[in-house]
Amino acid sequence: MQKALDKNKMLEIKELKKEYAGTTVVDIDHLIINAGETVGIVGNNGAGKTTLFRMLLDLIRPFSGEILSKGKNVAHNDQWKNYTASFLDEGFLINYLTPEEYFLFVGSLQQYSPSEVMNYLTPYTELFNGEIMNSGKYIRDFSMGNQNKIGIVAALLQNPELLILDEPFANLDPTTQIRLKDHLKTLKAKQLTTLISSHDLNHVTDVCERIILFEKGKIIKDMYTDENTLKELEAYFSLRTF
Amino acid sequence: MYATFLAHQWMGFWRSKGKGGTIATQLIMGFIVLYLAAVSIFIGYNMEHIIMEMLPGKDVILVFNGMILYYFTIEFLMRLQLQELPAMAVQPYLHLNIPKKKLVSFLNITALFSVFNLLPLLLFFPFAILKINSDFGPFACTMYLLAIISLMVFNNYAALYFKRLTIGNLKAGILGSIFLVAVGLLEYFKIFSIASLSNLVFHTITITPLLALIFPVAAVVMLTINTRFLRSNLYLEELQSAKQKKSSTDYPILDRFGEVGVYLALEIKLILRNKRSRSTLTKGLLFIFYGLLFYKQDKLAADKFWTLIFPAAFMTGNMIMLYGQFMFGWQSAEFDGLLTSKLNMRTFFKAKFLLFTIGSTLLTAAVSLYGLISWKILILQFAVYFYNIGVTSVITLYFATKNYKALDLSKGSSMNWQGITASTMLQTIPLMLSPYLIYLPISLILNPYWGIAAIAITGLAGLSTRNFWINFLTKEFQKRKYKIAEGFRQK
Repeated sequence: MQKALDKNKMLEIKELKKEYAGTTVVDIDHLIINAGETVGIVGNNGAGKTTLFRMLLDLIRPFSGEILSKGKNVAHNDQWKNYTASFLDEGFLINYLTPEEYFLFVGSLQQYSPSEVMNYLTPYTELFNGEIMNSGKYIRDFSMGNQNKIGIVAALLQNPELLILDEPFANLDPTTQIRLKDHLKTLKAKQLTTLISSHDLNHVTDVCERIILFEKGKIIKDMYTDENTLKELEAYFSLRTF
Repeated sequence: MYATFLAHQWMGFWRSKGKGGTIATQLIMGFIVLYLAAVSIFIGYNMEHIIMEMLPGKDVILVFNGMILYYFTIEFLMRLQLQELPAMAVQPYLHLNIPKKKLVSFLNITALFSVFNLLPLLLFFPFAILKINSDFGPFACTMYLLAIISLMVFNNYAALYFKRLTIGNLKAGILGSIFLVAVGLLEYFKIFSIASLSNLVFHTITITPLLALIFPVAAVVMLTINTRFLRSNLYLEELQSAKQKKSSTDYPILDRFGEVGVYLALEIKLILRNKRSRSTLTKGLLFIFYGLLFYKQDKLAADKFWTLIFPAAFMTGNMIMLYGQFMFGWQSAEFDGLLTSKLNMRTFFKAKFLLFTIGSTLLTAAVSLYGLISWKILILQFAVYFYNIGVTSVITLYFATKNYKALDLSKGSSMNWQGITASTMLQTIPLMLSPYLIYLPISLILNPYWGIAAIAITGLAGLSTRNFWINFLTKEFQKRKYKIAEGFRQK
């Protein structure tokens, strides 16, 4: 495995373990995510992707081991919150707010003024397809796909250095999937570190420069994407579709 | 088909997620129903005797007749509060090959299974059968019974219809409440009397029993209106929520509080936009009238404050107690999002304190009107006000860091046991007892006024050491935050 040493580490995971009722769901010896990398996490259901993300965001306590974000343990201080944005599921949304209110709330946590927030949102008007803003609905009344969009855009709005998205392409319509993919690629140019989990191998190999394959909580493949990656992944997964 | 529906409901009950809680709730409800039924039967059988005892010299039948419509008016109000709409259960059947008519009549039939449709029978039937039968003959008695059953059925469907109408329609709700308040005022000022109307109606029935047939006709009309409404509105979105446009609101006043204000604005929106929190709030507002029951002149004159501390504390602080009881469960749906946001825990707690302070201040301002009765009430209320924001709020927030139960905000708060745990029940004990622990010894050693002063001083001490308590609560929260977040993910 080739790793450029001059890049600085964004995330470092050491001997991380999580167990639920005796079964190990995450078991990572050592993993480094460098700043500016776009990393795709793939694996079947139960591979431990969401559990890993939740531990990265200090939402669940690891059984053992530690996660360092810019060298600092995420469980011990809140520094990481200043540069990390995430969207895992609709539990991240505040369902009784209108989308505008939610964006303003998220923006205000970054000390953005309302007009700044509206400015930051302009690039996403295309993504919204005219359905989100000024719709006069609370977030809880939107479809899953649109809730997803709101959550992803709210994460992007925070201008993070580290972005964590759990299955961002799920529930999205094809047009939005393609637009989101393009957008994520432009972010890569801006030195944003991104962690994406996905079941869509096409998208994930298209967007990510590095793919980590999980099986039952363990890393079984960690590779930089090239023209063979998709085939390799398809081969792995087709063996497991019974 | 109806049998299948019933079977599904039965399975739905037994296989529900929070089964333990549901069964416990149902058991308690069952006991309450049995108790009410027993009391009703007792009153029903001894009605004649009770009326003679309580209102000696009055004509028993006159009193009884006057009571009937009175009862049904109050019952209607209670139904509006307590009777549940059996609507949500039909959702999974709407797309299947089942005629709408059947679904609607199933809804109508299940709506009849309610305590409200049992009590009037137990309450009025014995007297009607014993007394009316012997005085006016079996025919008049039968018509009486028919009228009472019809009124009950009418009330049943009228309450449900009114409730369904007001779910998506704020205007109808406001108009309805104004009407009810107006009737209440007219009654209060003796311009119009339900009792004398009731008397007139039922007296006429004893003379010309056939007139009672108006009641079944009215009941059938109400049932038809309800059925029509259901049939034309049996669509998912219309059963669920209002269609009017939701607007974004801002509370510019809160900007002065900076980041704390942002979280406070968020929580105010939470309270106003969710059913359960809204009904908790209105419940709290109703407790303002507690004072009318408890503030007695003789107690005040004798400086017997110990009977008044609890009502005063509850009126000025019920927002802390009723709303704070379920903290942070109110935010369970978005808790993961809050934890990953740039949220400073101290700010979070400061916002909670500010919310409690504002709530108590508003309530205290409202109940200050009781000061017109006596200045003693005023000093008592201010003392417990300081105690509430200084001490009660800390205790409540401490218990909040031990509450792992998610709260479902989409249901009303009356008779709703979802989210209630041992911790939420237990915390009311120290809240209610602690002011007495301070007041009683000092008022016995010195005098009652020093006791009140001690309550106020304790509250002020809590207020002036608030920073310490915020740090303490933050630490307590950090210890258990994974467990809280984990609990909130289990819906």
